[in-house]
Amino acid sequence: MTTYTAIKSNGLARILGSLEVRMLGLALVLGVILSLLSPYFLTQNNLLNILDQSVVIGIVAVGMTFVILTGGIDLSVGSVAGLTGIVLGLALQVMPIPLAILAAAFTGGGIGLFSGVLIAVFGLAPFVVTLGVMAIARSLAYIFSGQTAISAIPYELSNIVYTSIFGLPANVLFLLALYALAWAYLTYTKGGRTIYAVGSNAEAARAAGLNVLFYSILPYVISGALAAVAITFSIAQILSADPLAGNQMELDAIAAVVIGGASLYGGRGSILGTLIGVIIMVMIRNGLNLMSVSPFWQGTAIGSIIIVALLADRLINWRSGR
Amino acid sequence: MRAGSKKDPQDMSVASESTVRQAMLAASDIAKRFGSTQALAGANLEIQSGEVHGLLGANGAGKSTLSRIISGHIRHDSGSITYRDKPFAIRSTRDALRSGIALVAQETSLAPDLSVLENIFMPEFGTRGRLSYSDLNTRAHAILSRLGHDHVLALDTEVRRLSAAQRQLVEIAKALALDANLVIFDEPTSSLSPSEVDSLFDIMSRMRNDGCGLIFVSHRLEEVLAITDRVTVMREGKTVAGNLDTSGLAQGDIIRHMVGKDLGAIYARRDPVAPASAGPAVLEVRNLAAKPAVRDVSFAVRRGEVLGLGGLIGAGRSEAVEALFGLRPRDGGTIQMHGKDINPRTPAEAMRLGIGLVAEDRRAQNIVPDFTVKENLLLAHMGMRNGVGLGYGSRQVKITELLTRLGLPPDRLDTSLLTYSGGMQQKVIIARWLLVEPTVLILDEPTKGVDIGTRSSIYAILRDIAEQGVAVIVISSDFSELLGVCERVVVMSDGLSIADLPSSVLTEEKLTLLAAPRTSTERNVQFLQSVSKEFAGTAFWALLGTEELICLGAVSSVDAPEIDLAPGQAARNDQTAIPQALAKRESRFVPEPDKAVATLLLPMRNKRGHDLGWIGLSVRNDRPLPDADEIAIRVATLTNAEAPIGVDQ
Repeated sequence: MTTYTAIKSNGLARILGSLEVRMLGLALVLGVILSLLSPYFLTQNNLLNILDQSVVIGIVAVGMTFVILTGGIDLSVGSVAGLTGIVLGLALQVMPIPLAILAAAFTGGGIGLFSGVLIAVFGLAPFVVTLGVMAIARSLAYIFSGQTAISAIPYELSNIVYTSIFGLPANVLFLLALYALAWAYLTYTKGGRTIYAVGSNAEAARAAGLNVLFYSILPYVISGALAAVAITFSIAQILSADPLAGNQMELDAIAAVVIGGASLYGGRGSILGTLIGVIIMVMIRNGLNLMSVSPFWQGTAIGSIIIVALLADRLINWRSGR
Repeated sequence: MRAGSKKDPQDMSVASESTVRQAMLAASDIAKRFGSTQALAGANLEIQSGEVHGLLGANGAGKSTLSRIISGHIRHDSGSITYRDKPFAIRSTRDALRSGIALVAQETSLAPDLSVLENIFMPEFGTRGRLSYSDLNTRAHAILSRLGHDHVLALDTEVRRLSAAQRQLVEIAKALALDANLVIFDEPTSSLSPSEVDSLFDIMSRMRNDGCGLIFVSHRLEEVLAITDRVTVMREGKTVAGNLDTSGLAQGDIIRHMVGKDLGAIYARRDPVAPASAGPAVLEVRNLAAKPAVRDVSFAVRRGEVLGLGGLIGAGRSEAVEALFGLRPRDGGTIQMHGKDINPRTPAEAMRLGIGLVAEDRRAQNIVPDFTVKENLLLAHMGMRNGVGLGYGSRQVKITELLTRLGLPPDRLDTSLLTYSGGMQQKVIIARWLLVEPTVLILDEPTKGVDIGTRSSIYAILRDIAEQGVAVIVISSDFSELLGVCERVVVMSDGLSIADLPSSVLTEEKLTLLAAPRTSTERNVQFLQSVSKEFAGTAFWALLGTEELICLGAVSSVDAPEIDLAPGQAARNDQTAIPQALAKRESRFVPEPDKAVATLLLPMRNKRGHDLGWIGLSVRNDRPLPDADEIAIRVATLTNAEAPIGVDQ
C-alpha cells in the first residue's frame, strides 16, 4: 500500500532508481567506514578478494532475482547447489570437464523445471514447493555422495577460477558478464519484460497475450541451473565436492535481492540492485573478518544491517509518499 | 412523508387489512455521499413486522447502499431512521445484530472451513464465557426446524462443502440465532436454481408468519411478485414509489417506476428497422457456453458495426466475452471468424486471430502497475510479437499518432500509469489494443469509473474505429450509453442471449424489461421449443397489454406459419399478424380472417395470480387444430411447478 502511494507521488522510474542509488550510497558509506576501521580494507588485494567472494552468492542471486521478480521464491537453491556439486564431482570421474559441468547445470535446471511446473501449472505455493525440493535435494546429495565429500576433483577445473584475463580472474569476469547479460535480458527482451509483467499483474499479462505460464516456470529453471554453475566455481576453488555445500545459501541470496530493492510481491526490482546487494553483504562479512570479529557475531551484524537498511528506505518512502 | 403516504389509496388498503400493524423501521430522507458520488438523496423506506418488503431499482439506484446503512455496514450522512419507535442508534454491524437487524448478502459472509454449527453461532464466539456445544446443538436444531430444514443439514458439515442454497440457509440460521427480526436479503436468489428459490421463499414466508420484517432486494420481477407484500422502488438514490401493494402491481408498473417514464411511450414509435450495415458477419458466436455464468449465447457482429451486449450486472456478459477471448474455458458452442471456425484457447491465440479485449476491471485485468505508461501501452504489442526483442522502436510513429488522436500527453510516457486519472488510464488501455489493429475489438464497460469528458471522447473513439472497419462490441450496464453508442443490442439475462434488436427500436425501458432476469426463462423456452415442434407451429411467450405486447421468447418449427414475432420485439396488437387472437384471448384457437393461421393464447400465472405473461401457439388453419384443452393443462402444469414442492404448512 505504502509502496503504491510512493509510486504515485514520485514516479516509478525515480523510485526504482532511487532505491538502487540509496543502496549504492550505503555500499560506499560502508566502504568508507570499513576502510577507516581497517587499513587492509582498501587494498587492491582485498578489493579483488571481495569480488572473488561475491562470485558464488552473486551467481545464485541472479537466479533468485528472476524468481522473486515473478512474485515467487526459491528456497531450494542451497540444496540444489549441494546436490549438483555432487553430480559434478561424480561426473568428473567419468567424463571431461565441460561435459561434467553441463551435466551439473542440466540437473539443476531439471530440478528447477520440476518446481516451476508444480508452481505454475498446479498452482502450488512457491514457498512450500521449494521447501520440499530443498529437503529432497539435500537428502539426495548425501545419498549420491555416500555421506562424504568427493575430493578426487581434477586440478584443471581450477582454471575456470584462476585464469586471468585483462588482469581480472576468470570467475569475477564471468560474474560481471552474467550480470550484464541478465540485465540486458530483463531490460530489452520480450521474455525479460514478461517476467516483470507476470510478477506485477499476471492477469493483465495473460489478457494481453503474454505467455504467463512459460515465464512463470523459466525463472525456476534458470535459478536451478545457476545454482549448479555457482557451486562449480566453489568446487573449482576448494577442489572438493561436499554434500553439505551451499547450506543456507538461499538466505544470503534472498537477502541480497531484497537489499537490492526488489519487492517480494514481484514486479519490482533490478539486476543492478541485486549486484549492489551482493557486494554489500560480502563487504560486511569481509570487513568483520578483517577486524577479527567472531564469526558468531557476523550473523547479527548482517541481519541488523539488512533490517535497518530496509526500514530506513521504508521510512523515507513514507515521508515522501504522503 | 408518512402523512403524505396516508393519502395513497394503496397504503390505506394495507392499513385496513392488517390488524394494528405499525412500522418496525422507518427511514426517511436518507442521504449518503461517497466521495464525489451522491449515492442516496431522499431515500425513504418503511418496513412493518410480518411483511416481505421488496426493494427495487435499476443498477446503481441505491438499494444496496440503503441496505448497508440499515444493517450498520456504513453510516448515513443525513436523514432520520426510527427503529421500533426509537431513533436508530446503529453504528456498526455488531450494533445492528444486537438490535436484531441482519443482512443476508449475495456473497455470503461464512467461514468456509468451519462447520455449519460454528458458522451459525459465530457472532457468539466474540462474547465472554464458555459456550456449551450441546446447548448450541439444541438451539441450532430448533432454528433449523423453524426454517423447516431440521435433519436436512448436518450441523458438523464444513460450510465449504455446501451448495449455494445451503449456504444461504446457514446465513439465515445465523441471523435467526441472533433473534434477528429485521432481515435484509440482498439478491438472495441469483445463484439459486428454481426449486431452491421455492424453498427459500418457503423459509421467508415462515419467517414472515413469525412476525419478522423482511426486505427483499432483487432485480427479478417474477420473484418480487411471488413473495413480497409491498414494494418500494428507488431510482438514482431516491425513493420514487413507496409502499406499493404488490397485489395490485404488474411487471410493467414496476419497470415504469424504475426507469421513470411511461411504459406506453415505447410503443408509440415503431421506426422501420434500418437494414443495419448489410455486410457479412466478421465474428459469429453460436450457442456459446462457459458454465456456470454463460449458458447459451449467440450473436454476430459485422465489419464497421458497433454491437452492444446489454444486461444487468451478473448476466454473464463479461464471462461470455472472456470465454470468446480464451480467458476462460468454453463448454460448448461455435465461433466463426470470416465464416471459418476458430477455437482460441488462450488470449494470445485470440489476438493472432484479430480479436482484442479491453477487460472490465481496469486495475486487476488491464494495468501492469510497475510498468511505465509506454510499457503498458505496448503490452499487447509485446504479446503479439514473435521474436526475442521488444520492437518498441518500430511502433514509435504509430504511438505518437495514437496519443495525439486520443488527446494523451506524448511527453509523459516514462511515468507510472498509476499517476494518470481513471479516464486517461482507460484511454491508454484502449490505445494498447488499437496499436495491434484488431479486426474485432471488445470493450467491457469502457466508461466505468471515467469522468464525463473522457466518456464522450471514448464514444468518439469507438465510432471512429468502427468507421475504419473494425467490428466493435461494447458491454455496458448503462442502457442509455448502450443505445447511444451501438447500432444493435444483444440482450443477455442469466447467461442466455434473449434478444437481438437494432437500437432504433429499443428504449431504456424496453431494455430494462428484457434484461430483467426471469427464473422461468429457460423452462419456458424449452416449453416453447417442444410445443412448436410437436404442433408444427410458432410458439411464443409474451407480456400482453390491452393495446400492445412485448415478446419474451418465440420459437418456430420448420412448417410454421409466419407471424413475425421475435424475442424482445414490442408491437401494437393491431399491427401484428394475429390481431384477432390478441383481441379475443379465448381459450381456443382463434383464426385470423384473411390468413391461414389460428392462434391459441393461454395465460401463465403464479400461485398468487400474478401475470407472468402469455403462452401463444400459432398453427396453420388448413389442417386439423390441436386439442386446446390439452395444451392448456400443460401450460398450467408449467406454472404449478413454481409452487413449492413438499411444503408442509
